[in-house]
Amino acid sequence: MIANNPYMPVLVEIADVINEVDTNDIKTFRLIFLNREDEAKFVYRPGQFAELSIYGKGESPIGIASSPTQQGYLEFTVQRAGSLVPGLVTGALHDLGAGARIGIRGPLGNSWPVEQLENKNIVVVGGGFAFTTLRSLINYMLDEKNRSRFGQITVIYGARSPGLLLYKEELTAWEKRGDINTVITVDKGNESWQGREGFVPSVCKEVAPSPDNAVAVICGPPIMIKFTLPVFFDLGFSRQNILTSLEMRMKCGIGKCGRCNVGSKYVCTDGPVFSLAELDDLPHDF
Amino acid sequence: MIEERLVLKKTAIEKINELAAALMEMGTLIAPVQEAVGANFKTIENPQEVSLDFYNTVLSPKFVFFPQTENFLSYQIAKPFTNAEPVELAITPVFLFGVRPCDTRSFAILDRHFEASSIVDPYWRKRRENATIFGYAFALDTPPDNADFYSMLGIHAADTEGSDIFMVRNDGELLLKSITSKGEQLLSELTLLQETSSDDENYYTEYLARGREYKTRTLCLEQETAAGKFEEIFYNNDFWGKTASACLSCGICTFVCPTCYCFDICDETMFKKGTRRRVWDSCMFTDFTLEASGHNPRTNVFQRLRQKVCHKYSYSPRKYDVISCVGCGRCVRSCPVNIDIYSIVSSALKI
Amino acid sequence: MNGKSCCGDIETAGDKMTGFHEIEERLKSEAFRLLQAGEVSVVLAYGKGTDERHPVPFAALTTADVENIVFNEHCTHNMARYLLRYPSGTKIAVALKGVDSRAVVVLIQEGKINRDNLVILGIPTNSMRNQQNGQIIDARTTCGIANPVLFDILLGEEVHEATVASPYDVLAPYEAMDEDARWNFWKTELDRCIRCYACRKACPMCYCDPCFIDVTKPRWANKSPQLAGNLMYHLTRFQHLAGRCVDCGECSRVCPVAIPLYLFHKKVAKDCEEMFQQTAGMRIEDKPVIVDFRVEDSDKILE
Repeated sequence: MIANNPYMPVLVEIADVINEVDTNDIKTFRLIFLNREDEAKFVYRPGQFAELSIYGKGESPIGIASSPTQQGYLEFTVQRAGSLVPGLVTGALHDLGAGARIGIRGPLGNSWPVEQLENKNIVVVGGGFAFTTLRSLINYMLDEKNRSRFGQITVIYGARSPGLLLYKEELTAWEKRGDINTVITVDKGNESWQGREGFVPSVCKEVAPSPDNAVAVICGPPIMIKFTLPVFFDLGFSRQNILTSLEMRMKCGIGKCGRCNVGSKYVCTDGPVFSLAELDDLPHDF
Repeated sequence: MIEERLVLKKTAIEKINELAAALMEMGTLIAPVQEAVGANFKTIENPQEVSLDFYNTVLSPKFVFFPQTENFLSYQIAKPFTNAEPVELAITPVFLFGVRPCDTRSFAILDRHFEASSIVDPYWRKRRENATIFGYAFALDTPPDNADFYSMLGIHAADTEGSDIFMVRNDGELLLKSITSKGEQLLSELTLLQETSSDDENYYTEYLARGREYKTRTLCLEQETAAGKFEEIFYNNDFWGKTASACLSCGICTFVCPTCYCFDICDETMFKKGTRRRVWDSCMFTDFTLEASGHNPRTNVFQRLRQKVCHKYSYSPRKYDVISCVGCGRCVRSCPVNIDIYSIVSSALKI
Repeated sequence: MNGKSCCGDIETAGDKMTGFHEIEERLKSEAFRLLQAGEVSVVLAYGKGTDERHPVPFAALTTADVENIVFNEHCTHNMARYLLRYPSGTKIAVALKGVDSRAVVVLIQEGKINRDNLVILGIPTNSMRNQQNGQIIDARTTCGIANPVLFDILLGEEVHEATVASPYDVLAPYEAMDEDARWNFWKTELDRCIRCYACRKACPMCYCDPCFIDVTKPRWANKSPQLAGNLMYHLTRFQHLAGRCVDCGECSRVCPVAIPLYLFHKKVAKDCEEMFQQTAGMRIEDKPVIVDFRVEDSDKILE
């Protein structure tokens, strides 16, 4: 019996499944450990991920969407991977409901560097599905035990349409709070949408967060990143102070299988969180 | 520095099969046998098959510690829950016999990877601990194969590094010297081996010295210079395009290479029963980096070849402080279109 | 006899076949001319490797590159497989031996390349040698034809042999086996496969992206090199190549564990000839066997 085998998943049970979007292909799974010891060992930080395991299908690396301040469960928001490369694991996961059991390996990867974010103003920018680990970070910072350690928090989050916004109830709750500036936008609204319309990059320009003592944390689809980064450069943010989480095909999650190798880094252990300055040093092979 | 032990034994080459039989009594013997394609390491079932008359094997011996398939867990698809059990790694002591110096060095390189950054790969570790390695010096009276270039990586023809016992041929006799305490222990247990004389001792010492002088094709290579140069020319599409123009992107090079380690983890099911296993993969395969979104950062052959070469000569030095290549020449010999990594490195350094 | 060679005045060495040296000279001269005149943007031929026995497939892009071109008995690679790497419309000159030209015919029939964009430099020879063991490459392991079936410029005298061996003679011992013995033979051979996929990449006809074996849904075979998956991969591939394989033998030459894949391909090709009177890539006017339906087609396949 190999002790401490990093390839062995532990069992968790699906406690709840929440449908996040009106296209029904993104769901949040709330997982609870079957074993107290496993739960105690799973100490994580915002920005980390885990490998979710469905025996017979395989594993899938998914960012942890809950904050470690939320005790007793883990949340993962999973998109059913689409048409071009059908998702074996995410597809099977979407067919499961409360009571089903899956495996989990983690926590894996580095995390949002919360110590370096202390006493700074944090600007969180997210687009579409890429909001999951940002939500973990925001809830972590908003927790009453942590809030005083951070300066102003600004969140700019956009989706293509109102139905595609994740965590809708939570967004509404943040909007009501006085200790966080929440700016929600959609590319195109509908009849019932009362909020803002506009692409994330232009909303960032409007909000114009100050770079003074600030760090920007940006995650989104490539097209959003492409147009948002120049806005932040224009505002005066330096490359060390812009953080992102890199998407790359991963397998083992522990830096052994070589799949996520970029330059001298393994995205699964040296990342997935990198500053733009760190990414500049890597060959553009991702 | 390993303290030089003074245990030197010998046996007649004709009696190799008796030595093989003795080792088979004590555990599993993996040694070179002749096959249609050339020599290859195999688990020996008949001691007569063992032969030291070879230059080097077609496939590297990395499979002893990193098998092409390694079972992690087995599962039974069932309702309401699929049950999964870890697969026991049950192995007997392994004797890896007849390993050339470039290959013994490759194990140390892979150790850095599999036992790195505080996460130890338990399968690699257990298999390494269970094996005793009989290194085998290259012959010094014939020229090296054209494809070899281990001299460039600082490896000698009679390099004992990485061996538990090191073997040197003296005409019809085989000298065996203990290098580690594990090797010393084993040599003392192999009572069929003969004692040696001071002539034998001298021969052995002299052989190692001559081994240092023996050179394959080589050029002066500083690890940091190579790492920096490949970093510098990463975006030189002209160079990489030309370098990769003949490449088929087939993957043979990575399969025969002693220091390549990319793998996949697959759930393989047949009628509701299955195994999750690790399987060799290759960065040269087209779909290696294909993401679920459909995006593939390395769609072109030259990008994949660039990844392979840069990983060996630039990324590995930066991450593990070692060039991940031992100059064994296998990729050069096996490449269907005769691509030569030594030429690639040599050309790159001239840019 | 003066064939269709480009430089009619040059004496040929040897009375049976133009020597390799002559062919190399003509190849370089044609490559230079075509590149200089801008008639093509790339010449696919062979270049210098680590030594004479190991030439490398080479793409000459400029007249300066022509210096590197070589041709000798070890230039066994089928250059047809590199044609699809270039954007459609690229003008390419390509050096092709007998069987290589058949591969190009199939690619043209399948609509993958345009005949008008090619300048085919045909090389007639029956003296090619295996790089690994130095043996002559002939009808035992390939289709054995010496002369290109399609070309624009012939770089040597056509080879006319007194007797031409059939590429199917090697099948006799296997056809004589009973079904169980044959099945065991193939199980033993394919068990050795390590799934490196060199065979697929060496084949000019294997251009599918993605290849069926890499698709995850449906998962046709597992990734690990076990017999069941190996059989699935190879037996399916043999079928996918039915009527398309030109018996160039590259798949078998590149195999690191020496599986005699060519035997199976020859058998399928023989069946196509017997049942449908069709041989892949011999005549550009032919239709590929899988897409051509004739009422009089043999029903033997249903037996």
